[in-house]
Amino acid sequence: MSYEVMVGNKAAATAVKLAKVQVASAFPITPQTTITQYLSEMYAAGEWDFDFVNVEGELTSQVVVQAASRVGARTFTCTSGPGLLYMHHPMQVTGSSRLPVVMAIVHRGYKGMQPDHSDLMSQQWTGWGHQYVEHAQEILDSLLMAYKVAEDKRIRIPIAVGYDGYVLSYTAEPVEIPDQEAVDEWLPPYKPMPSILPDEVDPSTFARGWGGGDPQMPWKVHHEAILKIEDVLKETMDSFEKTFGRRYGNGMIEPYRMEDAECAIVAMGTIAGTCKAAVDKMQAEGKKVGLIKLRSFIPFPVTDFQEWAKKLDGFAVVDRSVCPGKGGPAFGKLRDSLYDLEEKPVTLQFHAGLGGKEVRVHDFEMIGDKILKAAKGGKVEQVTWV
Amino acid sequence: MSERITRAQIPLSELTITPGSACQGCGAALAARLAFKALGPNVIRHGIPCCPDSVTQTPRVSTVFEGGGAQLTGTSRGLKAIGRDDVLAVGFYGDGGTYDIGMQGLSAAAERNEDIIVITKDNEAYMNTGNQRSGATPKYARTSTNPVGPRSRGKPRPKKNIPFIFAAHYVPYVGTASVGFPEDLIAKVNYMKTVKGFRMLIVQSPCPVGWRFDPAKTIEVARAGVQSGIWPLYEIMDGKKFKLNYKPKELKPVTEYLSPQARFRHMTEAEIADIQETSAADWENLVKADEMGKLII
Amino acid sequence: MIEIRLHGRGGQGAVTASRIIATAAYEEGKYSQAIPMYGTERRGAPLTAFVRIDDVRVRERELVHNPDISVVLDPLIAKQQAVVDNLKPGGLVLLNTAYPPEEVELGGDFKVATVDATTIALETLGRPITNTAILGAFAKITGLLKVESIEKAIKKYFPGRLGDMNIAAVKRSYDEVKGPIQAVVKDAPEQKVDIHVGGYGVLKDVSSWRVFTPDIDDDKCIGCKTCWIFCPETAIQWDEEKNKPWIRYEACKGCGLCANECPVDAIEMVRVEA
Repeated sequence: MSYEVMVGNKAAATAVKLAKVQVASAFPITPQTTITQYLSEMYAAGEWDFDFVNVEGELTSQVVVQAASRVGARTFTCTSGPGLLYMHHPMQVTGSSRLPVVMAIVHRGYKGMQPDHSDLMSQQWTGWGHQYVEHAQEILDSLLMAYKVAEDKRIRIPIAVGYDGYVLSYTAEPVEIPDQEAVDEWLPPYKPMPSILPDEVDPSTFARGWGGGDPQMPWKVHHEAILKIEDVLKETMDSFEKTFGRRYGNGMIEPYRMEDAECAIVAMGTIAGTCKAAVDKMQAEGKKVGLIKLRSFIPFPVTDFQEWAKKLDGFAVVDRSVCPGKGGPAFGKLRDSLYDLEEKPVTLQFHAGLGGKEVRVHDFEMIGDKILKAAKGGKVEQVTWV
Repeated sequence: MSERITRAQIPLSELTITPGSACQGCGAALAARLAFKALGPNVIRHGIPCCPDSVTQTPRVSTVFEGGGAQLTGTSRGLKAIGRDDVLAVGFYGDGGTYDIGMQGLSAAAERNEDIIVITKDNEAYMNTGNQRSGATPKYARTSTNPVGPRSRGKPRPKKNIPFIFAAHYVPYVGTASVGFPEDLIAKVNYMKTVKGFRMLIVQSPCPVGWRFDPAKTIEVARAGVQSGIWPLYEIMDGKKFKLNYKPKELKPVTEYLSPQARFRHMTEAEIADIQETSAADWENLVKADEMGKLII
Repeated sequence: MIEIRLHGRGGQGAVTASRIIATAAYEEGKYSQAIPMYGTERRGAPLTAFVRIDDVRVRERELVHNPDISVVLDPLIAKQQAVVDNLKPGGLVLLNTAYPPEEVELGGDFKVATVDATTIALETLGRPITNTAILGAFAKITGLLKVESIEKAIKKYFPGRLGDMNIAAVKRSYDEVKGPIQAVVKDAPEQKVDIHVGGYGVLKDVSSWRVFTPDIDDDKCIGCKTCWIFCPETAIQWDEEKNKPWIRYEACKGCGLCANECPVDAIEMVRVEA
């Protein structure tokens, strides 16, 4: 086991190498660009049996990994903001086809270049698992875990792992690099399900038509398959800790100093890190507010939040995106998860960091104060733009 | 380049599973049948939205309309990664997925010289969705989005020269073929199997429904297209070496090709003359290139 | 509400017929709905369309599953038992066929009327397109619509001289329709071929697509393989021993390409018996 002070994009590229990805393809776009360069260098150096395909656009990169995964190669792609929007069309094919592609999203809000979560949040309908991570170590670890979950026979769903552009992609921090042998043993080789090689494919599939049958079934099957990710992710987190000595909550959420908390701030990505610093400050002042870091957005940790709701008086949900005309995605989904509970904690919506706006420790102190006030019955506006 | 074969040498084996969903007399169905006879079963067949002309005894994959070049790339690279580059990655696409919405991806795949085979069944319009014009639709052809009326004489612009465009990517092979000339088509597929890199074959696939002729005449129409010079049969190797495969002493007049098709019925004498002249001039260039054995691009 | 199902062939105007009926109903102050059923319609393939007529606006958007009336525009499809499937008991069937109602072999509890709309269309329009020709008979036996309403509707779809010709066809079929009488055959015989297919891909048997069937004369055949090489449907197979072609008829759509290409005219396209 070694370590290196590296930028987030290098952590992503390192995970690709550790996972012994066979075919990767990407199109450069700020702030993901350096990943494509790292991968090209790894290809040129012949560090392992790796093929990196330089393509002419993001849509193509999605289809390239989709096809390579179908035929039996472990794959990787990455993009940001508009690049993700551009590949939306084939992304839903990757999801529907149940191909275990892993994709890193280096967040870039689509109303600018700076980070927010509008890029990945706007892809909720493509039928992938969605995760959000806080720091460079978590980038590397989460990508490795993503392969294990995606390729699990019970799952076979592509997974996107998002991390904030600039803030993480170009900030350097110490990252522990697991041993290659340990990863090789922990992450078995990928086998496509089913094989489409001419000498292995089931010939009865040739004459199968398309159309006919209950048209609702593909949606039902896909939806229910994604919900199964929760259990497998939790299992994988246990196994990751056992092998590599690190964990991030139960995989779905990561509670921070929630033992005596009366209220929780819910946040995704790097701002959750800033929030941890704020939580330390607030608890030192006797304010009983902690953080529940939201890691898996799809599937959403419904039961985790329902359990926590029984112990809490308030949730301050911080969305780093807004669906224009509709509202914050995590806020809406969290409230929907709590609707049937007898006693419901107060919930407040915060929007922070959209368009890359800097989110500071004192912003979370303000959020903490507001939720504590609201939880005690104080009058607080439901939506705050930080 | 391809080596001529005789009718007796056309393989008897059939890879198509029929009856399928093709219209009566479908040129694309015949293109598939002939091409797959030569390709054999060690193929992963790639499709994109298109007419459901045929089903073959091959594993098949498909993706979004504009992803034709990308999916072949992914399969080819994936096969190499898993040590199975004996399997052919073959795309059987229409003109929409080749000339228009699919062109970017195919051009990039050609530029990278991906190890893939692209066979385009060219029926000169988006036929599956009801005969809307494409970049492959010839000048003056009536389509549902280029109707004939006081402001429109059918498609105003000529057909894109896709074979030359792809040849200008300096790929190992670009060829044209016709369902009316099965020995030539099969010989070209045979040749494509012997080389690596980006290989493309554009197959004239007359469509009785869209081109509006009696389905019994599909081969007559194909033949007339070739014999009048409107659909020349040639091959280009590495973007340089050129061979014109069918060189009659005298071309038939274009009217032999245009008359049976109601999509051209509105054409005036002047418009027919326009086609005749353009076609003759293009043919002269091909004959010259053939004499030199190379293309100047 | 009255629910009608129409059976036709791709490219023969069954959808237009459904819209003309719906338009004619509206002319008489009724509400209507004409639904095409999109599936694998290819040129020559059998297909289905539906019409609903009611005194109030039609709200249902589901397909017509139990029609009151079945109208068949094509004489070959008129021989398929499937055209009377799921008809309401005591329903009404109108077939385009040269046979009189007494000789209809479809079985079940329904009244059947017949009219030779193909001949009428050939004589009035010069083409065997029966979608308007059959509507006169429809008006007569159903009593649902006046011929004048049908004429008004036809004028909306076929202006000028074409409209007049179509109206002449309507008038003739009004006069020439036979029946309806209670169906002679009581039990439903076994259904043999597909007359509507959902989805794409491989089909079971496309014999119902054929208006003409190829017949190969082995004696004239010189074994040149031309018919075999050009069959788009892989319906013609090659017998290596005999050096002759043979036809898999369940895959033959009757396009006539083989007969057209045969250099010695050894293949004849024979009209399928209606």
